[in-house]
Amino acid sequence: MSVGMGQSLQLADYLEKLPGTTFRKLYQQPSSAFSIFRRMLPSLAKTFVMWMLYMSHPYKLEDLDARVKPEFKQSRDHALAVLRTLHMIQYSVPSKDRPQEIQLTTNFKRSMQLALEGGGSHNSFGVPSDLPPPPEVTIAFLDEHARQKFDAILHYIVHSVAPGLIEAGGPKSSVKELLLAGGMVRRQGGVTSITQTGFTFLLQEKNAQVWTLLLLWIEAMEHSPASGLEATEMLSFLFLLATLELGKPYDTGALTDQRRNMLPSLADFGLVYVPQHKPQQYFPTRLATDLTDTSRSISTRSLGAAWAAASAPASGSGSGSGAEEEEASRGKIIVETNFRLYAYTQNVLQIAVLSLFCRMSARFPDMVSGRLTRDSVRRAITFGITGDQIISYLAAHAHPEMHAFAAAQAKPVLPPTVVDQIRLWQLENERMKTHSGFLFLDFVDEKEYVDIASYADEIGVLVWRNDRRRMFFASKHEQIRDYLRLRKKA
Amino acid sequence: MNEVDASEHYQGATSTAGDTTSLCTVIIDTNPRAWAAMNDVLPLHKAVSNILIFLNANLAFNNSNQVAVIASHTNRAVWLYPSRPDPPRPSHDGGSTEDIDMTDAPPASTVPTRATSSANKYPQFAQIETAVLASLKKLLDETTEPDLSCTTSQLSGALTLALAHINKTSLALAANSLSDKANSVPGAAAASFSSSTIAPGMSAHILVLSVSDAEPSQYIPTMNAVFAAAHAQIPIDVIALSPASVRSSNNNNNNNNNTSPPDGPDSRPPRPGSHAANHSASATSSFLQQAAHITNGIFLCPSTPRGLLSYLTFGLACADKTARAALVPPTHHSVDFRAACFCHGRVVDTGFVCSVCLSIFCSVPTLASGDNSTANTPTTTTTTNTATTSHTAPVECLTCGTRLALGSYGARPAVVPRRRKKKKQRVLPNGSVREETGSATATPAR
Repeated sequence: MSVGMGQSLQLADYLEKLPGTTFRKLYQQPSSAFSIFRRMLPSLAKTFVMWMLYMSHPYKLEDLDARVKPEFKQSRDHALAVLRTLHMIQYSVPSKDRPQEIQLTTNFKRSMQLALEGGGSHNSFGVPSDLPPPPEVTIAFLDEHARQKFDAILHYIVHSVAPGLIEAGGPKSSVKELLLAGGMVRRQGGVTSITQTGFTFLLQEKNAQVWTLLLLWIEAMEHSPASGLEATEMLSFLFLLATLELGKPYDTGALTDQRRNMLPSLADFGLVYVPQHKPQQYFPTRLATDLTDTSRSISTRSLGAAWAAASAPASGSGSGSGAEEEEASRGKIIVETNFRLYAYTQNVLQIAVLSLFCRMSARFPDMVSGRLTRDSVRRAITFGITGDQIISYLAAHAHPEMHAFAAAQAKPVLPPTVVDQIRLWQLENERMKTHSGFLFLDFVDEKEYVDIASYADEIGVLVWRNDRRRMFFASKHEQIRDYLRLRKKA
Repeated sequence: MNEVDASEHYQGATSTAGDTTSLCTVIIDTNPRAWAAMNDVLPLHKAVSNILIFLNANLAFNNSNQVAVIASHTNRAVWLYPSRPDPPRPSHDGGSTEDIDMTDAPPASTVPTRATSSANKYPQFAQIETAVLASLKKLLDETTEPDLSCTTSQLSGALTLALAHINKTSLALAANSLSDKANSVPGAAAASFSSSTIAPGMSAHILVLSVSDAEPSQYIPTMNAVFAAAHAQIPIDVIALSPASVRSSNNNNNNNNNTSPPDGPDSRPPRPGSHAANHSASATSSFLQQAAHITNGIFLCPSTPRGLLSYLTFGLACADKTARAALVPPTHHSVDFRAACFCHGRVVDTGFVCSVCLSIFCSVPTLASGDNSTANTPTTTTTTNTATTSHTAPVECLTCGTRLALGSYGARPAVVPRRRKKKKQRVLPNGSVREETGSATATPAR
């Protein structure tokens, strides 16, 4: 259930396509192993990794099964499938006298142990700078820097939708080219206009946006050999950034040449800040340190603020900026059951995004109000926005009051009637949905069909099945292929 | 077809709950004697480094996870992490200072003692390691000669600190997500979540590393803390390093007897040596077994303490509540449900129970005079009773003040043979048919 299920790039999809050798290289660096572990795994998979981390011998698969309750078999299979796609575990070939076993891959295991124990001399958690940091670089300053840079990018994309907006400087031309190449915007006769991918991008939450942008960048760099940057190196540097400490200076001198060359681009995205008069230091911003933040709900943000608030009496300083940041990122939208929508914001960007699928009716100094209508939603759908995107955007930006009310009444955050109606409006002209994938047919017998189809269902790739005609359709085939191979051997 | 009938209704709306934040609190028993006895098997510094790896693993699960470490020392419970910035207050036992103590446990961000940040270590891990080691060293330096005689540790105090910290964190979390509401209507935020359950977006658990005996007189406060944890759905996991605790209790039992004050309703009487040793040795695991059992936690009793890290990562590492729910916990075969009596704080196999407040007493109330209420558990163990016959038992219940009396205790129960074999049915005035129960008064029909 990632938020933006659309066409724009997701980290999980990207990593899935990487070959095993890339993973082996990535996992050589403890901070990459650590970040991927934290960012990509479901909680059950994390638990499995912990079990096997300090185990000297391979773990019998049946023993693992015995520790998972039977009703959670599906999540177990999902967890193992994810671990496998990320090349964190490897299976042994089952034979008659030896049951199937699993173990962590060597590089991942060693790096993960190093990350937890803090040993070794890999320097992969960033070399801090010995020089005193410039006095003006505070956490608030870094937040502001990141916000400016990133908002400029968003503004540039939205600009084509709402031409009335003032473009605040705009991103650098290299970033513009990147957005163009990534298909977020298209340029026709000197006029840039937003594309469907761009809409999908806009409606994602921040963390997913950052990753989408970074992956675009990585792909673009891969296709231009002149840059001299390798995807593996870029990824591992990003994972390193994710483990750095906000507000601390780090030493550029300790970086490899490749990584140093990445810094200007990352600064353009707002992930790092390099002081102009002190190029030997770089500061990660919140965008970078939150790269591994998996929880997309308000819980993390509010917890961060809770800790900041709790520390206020003790420390007195330094927590104010965090609270402001929380204030800025907290949800502001209230949706009523009568389809009226209120947003407590004066952020032009947010208003512009809202006006993509709402009929805005009034604007007050601190609030805008509007209505979700059939026409406005259908218009959004003709832009290429899906109903699910609208729903998840509204849910992700719901006002804390909505969350509180929903928690107290044990109901979903958004009014069900609104959610249903948005879906129905979408269905009015979207009777068909396409999936790309693979059709499996011509099975030998019923047993084989049922076995493989249910396996596909368990690992969550089954899209459609027809038991009578013994065929099913799956979105991915790699694991089914392996399964078939194993089955043939057994 | 799901797409057409839109039966996957609320997925988009309800998926806001991502990974939950979890707060892991570790209570380390730092009884110096017990660790000295274990030194050749598992020295303290090794155990602490294993615990630190376990904490790091917990932090690795999620960006927003938090940890806390508490030392349960011989005479007090001390915060190791988050450590307080100011020097500790002199009194820890007074109930009145409790609130002040709690506000002094600062969050992770304010720990200033980060001397060297290595590039080989995740900054947060380094920070916690420095803080824990520094405060542990300070605690050991402050330990004086008289403290060493004690074979027990202040487990109940540590549990209470942990619970208070969890509650405070969850309140801060909930208050923050509802801060707008709290500003406008002060009562509303507090009313929307019960103060005794933790916030919905958070899960917490406590791990107790126990090496020494539990003070039987701490039974009541410990169980109170355990019930509070159970109510707030906080599992208490326990690792009891038992071989050492048995050894140390046998060695040190004599000291313990000498230090106990003379008679009185609240004091512990001198104990006969061998029995008391057995009782107190099993007391640790008894209380903690019950704690794990009541709170749905995991109780581990490692046979080889050297492999503590394996026990921690393999047995107890759980990413969060959802992962925990999906797993079959390591079984403990039997739970020792024995309680400690309220009058002398001894672990009893069979005791006397006040019929009003359910207080447990180890000895027979000798002055039987009351007639309105009775204490009425039929049998006692020989060991506990013979030791205290000289001791005058309370006539009034210590807890609720009800006058206690024993009915015809020790008499042979008269068994009235059932006369009628065949069931006789009787039609009640309201027309329903019920079976004859044999009692004089009818069971009231609802």
